[in-house]
Amino acid sequence: MNKEFYELTYILNPVLDDEKFKELVDYVNKLIEDNGGDIVEVDEWGTRQLAYPIEKKNSGYYVNLYFEAPKTAIEPLERNMRINDDIMRYLTLKYDAKMKRHYELKKKGDLPVIFDDVEENDNSDED
Amino acid sequence: MINNPSHPKKGHLKTKECKFTKAGIEYIDFKDTDTLLRFINDQGKILPRRVTGNSARHQRQFSTAVKRARFMAMIPYVTENLR
Repeated sequence: MNKEFYELTYILNPVLDDEKFKELVDYVNKLIEDNGGDIVEVDEWGTRQLAYPIEKKNSGYYVNLYFEAPKTAIEPLERNMRINDDIMRYLTLKYDAKMKRHYELKKKGDLPVIFDDVEENDNSDED
Repeated sequence: MINNPSHPKKGHLKTKECKFTKAGIEYIDFKDTDTLLRFINDQGKILPRRVTGNSARHQRQFSTAVKRARFMAMIPYVTENLR
């Protein structure tokens, strides 16, 4: 079956302990694999401050992962994540060619720079 | 944000050209919060194209990226005006 490239970001309830985080990450990875997907990269950002409270909590444990899976895998995955009370938010994105190229560049570490040394220019203008 | 020297509303940007096009960006990542904050005002509103000089294509991509980042609580929907 044709596989697509996806990115998934989710926020876990921050009141849990490290063991439970690991368990949940494994649970999500297993969900993907059970539905015929392959994990490419898992990146745990750890506990972060939220920009606004979600479910009366001010921080959350962010996990960001990339995987390849057939289209049919997404629906059961999202359904299970929605049911799980410890997952506060999730966002799945399907990657097209441009986004994938961006991802490859980011991995290699040579993304184009948008703002380069703006402050230095400011100082030289003052004279 | 107001102390940000490259903030578009500070009149620092005289050249009206799209920063994204110039850098050759193909996709604006919602995870890249630092970049997103450059094109947002103090209240958390998306700055208009006439201020930032973004190209139509990049402005569209940028606004989707902002909305995704807001949903994931990485940048605020609204900021209370601290007086």
